Amino acid sequence: MADGPLIVQSDKTLLLEVDHEQADECRKTIAPFAELERAPEHVHTYRVTPLALWNARAAGHDAEQVIDALIGYSRYPVPHALLVDIAETMARYGRLRLEKHPVHGLVLTSTDRAVLEEVLRSKKIQPLLGERLDGDAVAVHPSERGNIKQLLLKLGWPAEDLAGYVDGEAHPIELAEDGWELRSYQREAAEAFWHGGSGVVVLPCGAGKTIVGAATMAHARATTLILVTNTVSAHQWKQELLRRTSLTEDEIGEYTGTKKEIRPVTIATYQVMTTRRQGVYRHLELFDARDWGLIIYDEVHLLPAPIFRMTADLQARRRVGLTATLVREDGREGDVFSLIGPKRYDAPWKEMENQGWIAPADCVEVRVTLSDEERLAYAMADSEERYRFCATTPSKTRVTEALVRRHPDEQVLVIGQYIDQLDELGEHLGAPVIKGETKVKERERLFQAFRDKEIQVLVVSKVANFSIDLPEASVAVQVSGTFGSRQEEAQRLGRVLRPKSGGGGARFYSVVSRDTVDQEFAAHRQRFLAEQGYAYQIIDADDVLAGD
Amino acid sequence: MSTEFAEWLRGRSDEQLRELVALRPELITPVPAHVEGLAGRASSPSAIGRVLDRLDRFTFAVLETLAVLASPVAYRPLRAQVARGLRGPADSVFEARFRETVDRLRSLALVHGTDRALVPAPGVREVLDAPAGLGPPAVEVFRHYHRERLAELVEDLGGGGGGAKEELAALLADRETVARLVEEVSPQARSALDELTWGPAGGRVPNARREVRVDTARSPIEQLLARALLAATGEESVVLPREVGLFLRDGRIHRDLAPVPPPLDGTARDRVLADRTAAGQAFTFTRAVEELCERWSADPPGVLRGGGLAVRDLKRAATLLDVPEWVAALVIEVAHAAGLVAASGSVDGDWMPTPVYDAWKVRATEERWVTLATTWLTMDRVPGMIGERDERDRLRSALHPDLRRAAAPEIRATTLGMLAVAGGPDAPLAPSLEAVRERLAWEQPRRRITDRDRLVEFALREAEQIGVTGLGALSGHGRALLPSASPLASGSEGGSRTASAAELLAPLLPEPLDHVLLQADLTAVAPGPLTGELGRWLALAADVESTGGATVYRFCESSIRRALDAGQGADEMLAMLERHSTTPVPQPLGYLVTDVARRHGRMRIGTASAYVRCDDPTVLDEVMADRRAIPLRLRRLAPTVIASKTSRATLVDSLRAMGYAPVAESLDGDVIVTQLDVRRTEGPPQLRAPAAFTGLDAEVITAAVRAVRAGDAAHRSRRRPVDAPEGQVPRSPATATIGALREAIRQGSQVWIGYLDSQGNATSRILEPARMEGGYLTAYDETRAAVHRFALHRITGVAEIQA
Repeated sequence: MADGPLIVQSDKTLLLEVDHEQADECRKTIAPFAELERAPEHVHTYRVTPLALWNARAAGHDAEQVIDALIGYSRYPVPHALLVDIAETMARYGRLRLEKHPVHGLVLTSTDRAVLEEVLRSKKIQPLLGERLDGDAVAVHPSERGNIKQLLLKLGWPAEDLAGYVDGEAHPIELAEDGWELRSYQREAAEAFWHGGSGVVVLPCGAGKTIVGAATMAHARATTLILVTNTVSAHQWKQELLRRTSLTEDEIGEYTGTKKEIRPVTIATYQVMTTRRQGVYRHLELFDARDWGLIIYDEVHLLPAPIFRMTADLQARRRVGLTATLVREDGREGDVFSLIGPKRYDAPWKEMENQGWIAPADCVEVRVTLSDEERLAYAMADSEERYRFCATTPSKTRVTEALVRRHPDEQVLVIGQYIDQLDELGEHLGAPVIKGETKVKERERLFQAFRDKEIQVLVVSKVANFSIDLPEASVAVQVSGTFGSRQEEAQRLGRVLRPKSGGGGARFYSVVSRDTVDQEFAAHRQRFLAEQGYAYQIIDADDVLAGD
Repeated sequence: MSTEFAEWLRGRSDEQLRELVALRPELITPVPAHVEGLAGRASSPSAIGRVLDRLDRFTFAVLETLAVLASPVAYRPLRAQVARGLRGPADSVFEARFRETVDRLRSLALVHGTDRALVPAPGVREVLDAPAGLGPPAVEVFRHYHRERLAELVEDLGGGGGGAKEELAALLADRETVARLVEEVSPQARSALDELTWGPAGGRVPNARREVRVDTARSPIEQLLARALLAATGEESVVLPREVGLFLRDGRIHRDLAPVPPPLDGTARDRVLADRTAAGQAFTFTRAVEELCERWSADPPGVLRGGGLAVRDLKRAATLLDVPEWVAALVIEVAHAAGLVAASGSVDGDWMPTPVYDAWKVRATEERWVTLATTWLTMDRVPGMIGERDERDRLRSALHPDLRRAAAPEIRATTLGMLAVAGGPDAPLAPSLEAVRERLAWEQPRRRITDRDRLVEFALREAEQIGVTGLGALSGHGRALLPSASPLASGSEGGSRTASAAELLAPLLPEPLDHVLLQADLTAVAPGPLTGELGRWLALAADVESTGGATVYRFCESSIRRALDAGQGADEMLAMLERHSTTPVPQPLGYLVTDVARRHGRMRIGTASAYVRCDDPTVLDEVMADRRAIPLRLRRLAPTVIASKTSRATLVDSLRAMGYAPVAESLDGDVIVTQLDVRRTEGPPQLRAPAAFTGLDAEVITAAVRAVRAGDAAHRSRRRPVDAPEGQVPRSPATATIGALREAIRQGSQVWIGYLDSQGNATSRILEPARMEGGYLTAYDETRAAVHRFALHRITGVAEIQA
């Protein structure tokens, strides 16, 4: 019996035993066609989905390679049905192609007439098509390039888009590698994207997605529209571009709630783009404001639905999506695939951690036992108030203080959901508090001070969740949160994952009230973090206080 | 009946007769009384039909040729005639195959006579009504024509006067005449003839009986009718007379004949890989059956009013097993056919596991698989049709009693048998479905099985699912399950077959492991099947998240609580984890166990049907101390509360009787703990014996031949009935009776028995026992001079015959 590192499950998950001597080699082989789902310490779980298989096809892998890999590394016989299914699924990609035709513009062609006939019969597809050119080709309205790709994917016949791109308005952009240089994986990511035309680059938090964005711009040398999640993030992009490229202040515009600049490189927020007045998207014209040569979507997994619709009309422009995960909580992975493009690069993040590009983190859950009085009050609280009650209990404040005291020489972030609690903590810890009402200027001043180590402890509300860059936070204490979202968890953890100047691991504390719904949420978080491969332990608050 | 055939049959050796009945078991059910009887049976249309169904295309063609040619035919001319129909040259392969075929036809008693004069057995011609697609001979087709019409035809064909059909036949048999006639007709008429040449020889035309002459014939059909090139067989049907057909076929009877079967096209597989894949599937399938039974133990689906399983329940099973519906249907049907699940009752019953399942469950995986695979091979159920609609547009549901096809086991055996001989020993072949169907059509061209093509497809895909085949090629353990080709080779080797299949499979199955990998996300991954103890423990303390080669278990609060409820202690659980983990137990997992255990059992819940409440504890002390209170089964829960298992009314009455003045109180907080019962049917299921398709065993065959011989000897010598001996009718205990009869069968000797006839009269017989089976003895009865069957329970005793 072969002794491979891989076990194929009947639900199409692949279990990879990481301590196996062939594990590394196997991981590299299966990564193109299977999505890493969970990565706890001993056994990693990958899932083979149709999208993952089509991504692999788009990257030039064929079914035979996939099947050979499975059979070669599998410890047990691979169910024949699964192999057949994989071969059939992969064969579906590329049967239909979108191509450019000298006379008819955009055409849908097929190597398999039966497939073409099948999709032509679809009532939803018909309105998108023009005249039938011959047995194997049919004209497509150029404006429907995105829609047809979405619909074809839904029908299970994803089309390969070979229709090419417009070059857009040229604009010189160079990387300014003075005193720093592109890391190897960043270079690979940018090149993989450029060769693929359009698509998504998957990099873990802290791996320098902005720099990959800059590198793709340097490839494109054209006017670029960058879509980011929020204003702070927009500022950060701007700072980073100024630092990493030949672009100057005048060439970069911000298109946010406050400023409406349109320049050769324009950074806009999703929020502005999706703002509606009287049911009309007011800022749509931005997409047509210039002849953009490249569109960058930051945090693709958060891309709001209206942006998808707008993107459907931009299929002739090069698009790159940047994200830490392809998993979307709304299940619209298929839209990312058809509208932004297939996965072009997936970083081996464990290797990146080994090479020191991202910091390993220790996660500690601190369980606070409520006092008898608090327990009684909790039991009587209204169900919608319960979480707030247990999340903000005074016992937590004491424990948080003790935790902060444990790290006197480190940069500490205290993260929470409820403003009252944050204010109280800020008071007790003598630390400034950043919340929704804090002015952007003030926020940036505090962030800078934190970065410069003038401030060691910073209390932040969930406004800090996305895309702020706090390189020196090596300790985070989470006192309350929504916890429903895996993404939020990833983002918060991302705050402490940046490589530290002094080296050493980061620490992520969550303070949780025992025997309450808080603990239930914590269980989700624990699962998520452990699945991400972080060391996780649970300690009692009494131990923290006693050690004080 | 031809006495010639009977004589020929009588002249066959015992060995040859044994071979005959082995090949045609229907000839001895029941055993004929003598060789004439056997000959009659062998030439009956139904018996001939059955044996013709089993002939391959070439053998069938040889027989057809023999039926077409005038009997008797010598070996050489017959060979020459068959050779003309060959697609290829008449090479040595053909020669050898032809020799073998003629001998085989003789073994089957379809042909008799020596090589110098081969004759088809009586009845063969009648059964082969259109051999090789040829029409009937002229003598036969023109039989219904009246004399005048025949005379007209003979005249038009250029024959002399008269009007005998024989004369017409003679004219049509003359090549030159027919050549001239065919020459005369129009091209359209010629192409009509071409249409009919290679069969079917009949066609439909309006007003077929019109009486046209060569001079008056207009249409092409009329031209043919006028020349007797076509004969009317009804108002609207015509047929090509055999003589004309043979002429048009240029003297050939067949075309494109091949002495060997078409090759099986397919992909050669690596034997090791195919075996491994099959073993993996065998493991998966066995596990699926177990998983299904476990689910049905706790949550049995109902039996539909018409029998069977609801579509919804089938879908549920498919979801549970994570397989397509047809696979779930297969799992369910096989489990049922193996007796592992059954209906708990005919009305309003549920489908649930049987006690057989409990016995099956504890056996080794390979043995469990063998049980399932053998069941599948021999069952007449057709799971493949589940979900389709029947002729009356009713949905075919799983487990429905009607879902049967008698031919299914035979098709499975034949199909797999084909796989068994395909490809080399190290490169078994995975033939395409098309190739298998084609081969099957060649092997049994005459056989008509409803949906044969579909049954073949089902057989192949189900074999793959069950793990009899791997990557489409027959696996080693699958091959071991197949019955050997000849029933004469060995008697009952069924037991050793299954044993060797299990032996072959066992080393391919993953070894049971005694360790798991514990992880901080609270999962345990078992990288293979677990040993019984650990597997059961994990199933208790964790939830299964994914199955396959490995099993992923997840610990959570409720699963830990479940284990605690089942009497596990926290320390015990931690020790168990430690013992079976190769790595340290993750801190969060240890914490979870202790944390759940900390709160477990802090509250206690019980049942009581009534309680006594009193603010004064001393009164309750008094009650508890009172001896009269013992039957009330009181329990002091707290200083002021007593719980009782008797009803409130009884409690009130009893306490009153004891001199207290209690007041009834309305009840509150009664908790009823329901217990999840694992349910079973009451007894083992009544299993239907699967249809036998392996034929008869050697013992039965020998006995049958002996019986026929004995009967025949009697018949021929016209033995007079012998008088039974005078005196007391023999009496002996039943076991001695059976022993004595068995001994007599073995020795071929005679015995004297006492027998209660159907009227209950005690009679006395002299018998020559031939075989004993199913509670009956078949024997030649000297006193009646005939072969009879005797019910064993009515034989009152046996005694030896004094010489």
